[in-house]
Amino acid sequence: MSSVYVLHGLKPWLIQRVSAVYIALFVIYCVFALTTAGDTGYLQWREWLFHPLNTIAVGLFIIALLLHAWVGMRDIILDYVHNTLIRMLALNLVIVVLISSGLWSAKILLLSVAI
Amino acid sequence: MKFSIYRYNPDIDKKPYMQDFELTEVEPGMMLLAALLKIKDTMDESLSFRRSCGEGVCGSDGMNINGINGLACITPVASLKQPIEVRPLPGLPVIRDLIIDMDQFYQNYREVKPYLIVNDPMPEVELPQTPQQREKLDGLYECILCACCSTQCPSFWWNPDKYLGPAALLQASRFIEDSRDQATEERLSALEGPFKLFRCHTIMSCVQVCPKGLNPTKAINDIKKMMLKRSL
Repeated sequence: MSSVYVLHGLKPWLIQRVSAVYIALFVIYCVFALTTAGDTGYLQWREWLFHPLNTIAVGLFIIALLLHAWVGMRDIILDYVHNTLIRMLALNLVIVVLISSGLWSAKILLLSVAI
Repeated sequence: MKFSIYRYNPDIDKKPYMQDFELTEVEPGMMLLAALLKIKDTMDESLSFRRSCGEGVCGSDGMNINGINGLACITPVASLKQPIEVRPLPGLPVIRDLIIDMDQFYQNYREVKPYLIVNDPMPEVELPQTPQQREKLDGLYECILCACCSTQCPSFWWNPDKYLGPAALLQASRFIEDSRDQATEERLSALEGPFKLFRCHTIMSCVQVCPKGLNPTKAINDIKKMMLKRSL
């Protein structure tokens, strides 16, 4: 089961905190970018995203969000789901959903900046 | 003064129930324990609860008072909203009325090895500490193991057999911080993993209810910080 509780105790705790700080800073940056932007729309959004700094920032945000969601969901499942089989299924389901969301987000991000 | 007290005698009752009592003579400054003793003496001698010193030192009479855990002997009845609802500490099995089975609590306490571990040969007289080293134990050694904190902690309710709970972790911290102890590494390693320490989500119910005014949440966070430093 140890592999299911991926990364044990201290690491998830640390990941949760570090990712939370990054997400908070990213949200502030987004609010700043939105309020200082002149025109807003799909083309302007793509132009903004095309800037390497923003591509990286959004990419890191997606990773931070997925890791943060993983630790949070893991915590809820470890707290409340006591049946070993259901717990294992729930943890794996969360991993599948998060990895799928990550791949989908990566596709959107990469296609948006491809041209 | 009105009371609503949790009653359960497994030999007779199928289910626990709340029983109402009304106490007419309430002395000024009366503590809840004195009121319970009066109810037991004058109204229903079958009412069962633990008690010993009566002055907040032994930690025997921890109970859930109007939803908040505390020691009956240092809780003035005048400070409580009526009817005063008295229940056993939540999260552990009830033996009878306000008496709970504390085996799991003590087992978790034992698990943190609450004693000094010294590998070097013991000195003939004593293990001296500087005043600064001794100061680090303040806020940790005063715990009386009344279980008010652990049984107010939802993480302990959900996983009492896996999460050690604030009382045991406060004691873990007490020996990790002790300059004379030589098992810091082993103690920190033993707490690693998703359950024993890291089920604490810092909601601080333990701090809110501790009758001795201690701060298990800070102790738990100090252990986490030490683990982090060790891993870097």
